[in-house]
Amino acid sequence: MQQIGEASDAQLVTSIGRYSEVALAEVYRRHGGAVYGLARRVLNSTPDAEDVTQEVFLRLWNQPDRFDPTRGSLRSFLLAQSHARAVDAVRSLNSRRLREVKDARRTAHADYDMQHEIWDLALADQVARALAALPGEERRAIELAYYEGHTYIEVARLLGQPEGTIKSRIRNGMRRMRAALVESGVQEADA
Amino acid sequence: MMTHEEVSELLAVFALDAVASHEHDEIEQHLSSCPRCRAELDAHREVAAALGNSVEALPEGLWSSISSRLPARIAEAPPPMPRLPVDPGGRVMEAGGPGRAGPARPRRVTAIVGSIAAVAAAIAAVLAVSLVHDSHRITNLQQAVGASAHNAVAAALHTSGHKVVTLESSGHQLLAEFVVVPDGRGYLVKSNLPALPSTETYQLWGQLDGRSISLGLLGRSPNQATFTSAGSRSPSVLAITVEPAGGSVTPTPPMLATGPV
Repeated sequence: MQQIGEASDAQLVTSIGRYSEVALAEVYRRHGGAVYGLARRVLNSTPDAEDVTQEVFLRLWNQPDRFDPTRGSLRSFLLAQSHARAVDAVRSLNSRRLREVKDARRTAHADYDMQHEIWDLALADQVARALAALPGEERRAIELAYYEGHTYIEVARLLGQPEGTIKSRIRNGMRRMRAALVESGVQEADA
Repeated sequence: MMTHEEVSELLAVFALDAVASHEHDEIEQHLSSCPRCRAELDAHREVAAALGNSVEALPEGLWSSISSRLPARIAEAPPPMPRLPVDPGGRVMEAGGPGRAGPARPRRVTAIVGSIAAVAAAIAAVLAVSLVHDSHRITNLQQAVGASAHNAVAAALHTSGHKVVTLESSGHQLLAEFVVVPDGRGYLVKSNLPALPSTETYQLWGQLDGRSISLGLLGRSPNQATFTSAGSRSPSVLAITVEPAGGSVTPTPPMLATGPV
């Protein structure tokens, strides 16, 4: 009897390359929630997050060869796609209203604790710990860039720091995160 | 032009989609020729993915919306087509059916006949998904033999909106043919399936929204059978497997025959 997860993500993508809608449906079932969740977090809008999710899966359907399994997991690939599209939307003029909503929310929940977000099982726990363990200035720079969709130049302006400082904080923070995730076994050292 | 060091400094920022637009293309360009930077970027992207890995319940209807927007794609490597008969004068004779030259076939058809290996791989993935029996009344009418079954098939073939579904093997051999009518009932019209030993049975499956649903047992030597998926939408693909007598709750690969509805 076939068990869930028996086909690898890479096999599914190969099948998508051969027009298998059922393979796409399975990828959607496995990763759609994460793709949608990230888009919604960045955009703070359900309809816009749905649009991004649709774009990500339609793109996978049309260009499955863009996924290279030797360069990382399918989940990472799809999340990168989702994030890039969500950020594009946030940065477009049409998304000004979203930014305003987001600003309001940030004010209302200025001290929100990231560990109270809905995270994905054990990974979420490890990620939240790794993030919480970062020096505050590195964590803030990463949060503003990744979750709020700001460029590092905007982050520098928001925090009143030189651009070079923000570049370094993000890079150091990401490396520290990486080391923590490898150490906790969440990520492989040579991934 | 950015130097390797300049790009390297920005890779973590790039993985967060946070570089300035004017830097983006230059970094991309450098990445295309620098494996070291690519490897570093991949590592940063894994971290970024971990940061973004919050799963939310998917909105109802989102998949249907995606599915309905899947555009037809022209096959880069079209499936092998049967050769057209050539008369002694070298002219291609008119031949009906799939051998006729023409525009690319619709997506679903291409998908199925294009590469059975691919289909098998895809289906193997889907088979993992839990089955939904409740919404499908499984009816095996092996016992409903005789004139009434023939009449039902004939009636189905005359029903407005009926579809004929052909299930082919990996070698494009037609193994079974069903007629499906709009109310969800389907009838076996023709079977070329060889008889199985008494310890095994053929089982019919339907795929709906990425799930494989048992539509019933066809027995070891299918002759007449009907199924119904009344109460839900019609499956997009029918497939047949060989299972131990008594049937299985999930299909056992490989798929013997598959066909788009």
